[in-house]
Amino acid sequence: MKKATNTLIVAGMVATSLMAADAAVSAVKVDADLSKISYSSSVWKDAKFSEILLYPQTTIKFNDKKANELNAMSRAKKASVAAVYNGKNIAFMIKWSDSTMSIQEGLSTTAYPDGFAVQFAANYSNPEALPYIGMGSDGRPVVVHLQKAVRPFFEPNGHGDVAMQVNPNQTDLFNEDLEKFNNKVKKIGSNDYERSFISEGFRSMTEIKDGSNNSYARLSYKRDGWMGTLSRPMVDGYVDLSAGAIPVAFAIWDGDKMGRDGLKNLSQWLSVKLEGRSGGDELIAALAAQAPGDAAAGKEAIAMNGCIGCHQVEVTDPVNFMGPALSNIGGYSTAGYLKESLVKPTAVVVPGYNRNAHSNDMWYTEENGKRTSAMTDYSWLDEVSMNNIIAYLQSLKAEVE
Amino acid sequence: MSKRQLAMVMDLNKCIGCQTCTVACKTQWTNRNGREYMYWNNVETYPGTGYPKNWMELGGGFDAAGDLQPGVIPNLEADYGVPWDYNYDALQGGASFEPNVEPTWGPNWDEDEGAGVFPQDNYFFYLPRICNHCSNPGCLSACPRDAIFKREEDGVVLVDLDRCQGYRYCIAGCPYKKIYFNPKISKSEKCILCFPRIEQGLPPACAQQCVGRIRFVGFLDDEESQVYKLVHQYKVAIGLRPDYGTQPNVYYVPPTESPAKFDADGKIIEGSTRLPIEELEKLFGDNVHHAIKTLKLEMKKRKETGESELMDILIAYQHQDMFRLDNNYYQIVAKEKGRHALAPIDTRYIAGKHTKTGHVMNFMQGEDFSGGYH
Repeated sequence: MKKATNTLIVAGMVATSLMAADAAVSAVKVDADLSKISYSSSVWKDAKFSEILLYPQTTIKFNDKKANELNAMSRAKKASVAAVYNGKNIAFMIKWSDSTMSIQEGLSTTAYPDGFAVQFAANYSNPEALPYIGMGSDGRPVVVHLQKAVRPFFEPNGHGDVAMQVNPNQTDLFNEDLEKFNNKVKKIGSNDYERSFISEGFRSMTEIKDGSNNSYARLSYKRDGWMGTLSRPMVDGYVDLSAGAIPVAFAIWDGDKMGRDGLKNLSQWLSVKLEGRSGGDELIAALAAQAPGDAAAGKEAIAMNGCIGCHQVEVTDPVNFMGPALSNIGGYSTAGYLKESLVKPTAVVVPGYNRNAHSNDMWYTEENGKRTSAMTDYSWLDEVSMNNIIAYLQSLKAEVE
Repeated sequence: MSKRQLAMVMDLNKCIGCQTCTVACKTQWTNRNGREYMYWNNVETYPGTGYPKNWMELGGGFDAAGDLQPGVIPNLEADYGVPWDYNYDALQGGASFEPNVEPTWGPNWDEDEGAGVFPQDNYFFYLPRICNHCSNPGCLSACPRDAIFKREEDGVVLVDLDRCQGYRYCIAGCPYKKIYFNPKISKSEKCILCFPRIEQGLPPACAQQCVGRIRFVGFLDDEESQVYKLVHQYKVAIGLRPDYGTQPNVYYVPPTESPAKFDADGKIIEGSTRLPIEELEKLFGDNVHHAIKTLKLEMKKRKETGESELMDILIAYQHQDMFRLDNNYYQIVAKEKGRHALAPIDTRYIAGKHTKTGHVMNFMQGEDFSGGYH
């Protein structure tokens, strides 16, 4: 048995070192202006598309009965991603197939849009301790750019202008003045649903409205699929994307399945290699790493350590509001994150539910704003067991559609 | 739980279903900008489908263990009803009077239908409903963005429209379905208990306009308020569907009076009552028995002795006595917190916590509110 394990470790290490050579996405250096581009821009001819997988978010279960039924059997989706950069800006394109074009428009309370988001880490100097994939974590902020298929809509408060939000009949304006007022409301009220957020965990996501955001996102539906593009400065007040390789994560929403917020498919942190720039090998290796362990033994270890007491490990296990559900954890987590969660559970405390929603499940305690996870510290595990468990967790993911 | 809690009591024995409250609220808040279909205040006929349709069967709220229950988001066409208007302008040209959309459903579609067989034992009563400004709100607990907050100073539950992203989990989480999705701005909106009026010492529009004088408004911890007396002292006012576990802060004096039933010959069945106690138990829980007993006792006492403080309160001789709102209180709170009075600001995400700076919010009156809040 011991011999077999050793062989596995060696095999695993070989696999790791082989994969380290390839980043998930290659960003091609171009000269063209990237500040405002869409899917039809000629710059994408030179780009290199890679296939990525996006797994259904099942860490948190939402309280929408219909949506949960629609998404109960959700599978992983394939998408095609490319990146280009010119030193000043970096741009991404994501293409995925979706047979139902869902656009949020008109007067409906039950229409949801398709959409996509791209997430960047504010700090990625330690690739083993990246921000939590679900919109960052305490002290590890991320920037998220979101574009949804919502028809430009009237939002008087879209620019924070509350004064323009009154009923025209309740102003003291008449005739020409009233017309001017109405025109102004119309002008400032039309908004494209493009948002940029800074976030330290998904509850805390806050829109960047300080005027510093210079991103530009577009979304187009062609031949049973969406093409989304995002361009943004490589460096701004929140993130610096000018290294040799950067971690990027993608998410897509399916409005037809009432997708919004956490009802989405997301990728794990993917390495994007900026061609022609040195460095980043450590990040590329870390994000591709597979734990050199035996998944079957890991499954046994998980059962033995009673993880199921707090976590829904596989889809067939009972729902548990205490710990995050792990049924797709292998789809969107890196080996580094899984190890960190076992060894230092408090390093990343998944923001989870509003505590009031499941008040008996105190999955963390809070003192002076610092969260301490209720999870037992598993740093005492020997390396073999640890690798087995991580290998098993990495194998937990939905089938690909 | 907030430091103080503002509450409303509605006396169902006195509600005549005139919808003046509904209109007062609608003209004040929901006649524009995507809110046309919303009724922050509605009066429904009970038993009936209610508004939105069959709201009691749409889930939300908490189970006995305190876990938020999944719910269903009502559909505008099928469950709320698309608001329609008529072609008044075209009438001058001789056109026939037509609605602009085919009415298929709306609030009060089954108004005054009730239950039972006419004329033997049919019955109904009116149930006016606003947001319950719960102590344990289902909407707040369901929000994955922390966009809903309960004000410390008075327990009013508000949506921070700056944070709201229109996910609609709040609607699924609210067992009363009293939070609505505004499709035009893609955000959730709800009854704000007329806080801009409250802060000026005025009762909410629905309460002030109530011709039947059924609505009392005051702080639950204010022993001088009639709200306190009805809820805590006499215990005749009870929250709606306490089994939902949200601890609602709108309380109802249950209907105690209903006519006797008729037999097949149309004669009164002595001692019978049309309103089944089971229905009241369903709406108000077991405490309804105690409330009805107290009300009957006090009624009797009043008849016999001519004196009953409880009956005097419920008769509501002076409308202004029904409201005890201390407007100075809000001035003091605003001063203490160093902020703009009337600014519905959620302070959990002040500038610097996540974004580097805040952005300016322009207010119609007074100074602009800049830097720090967003």
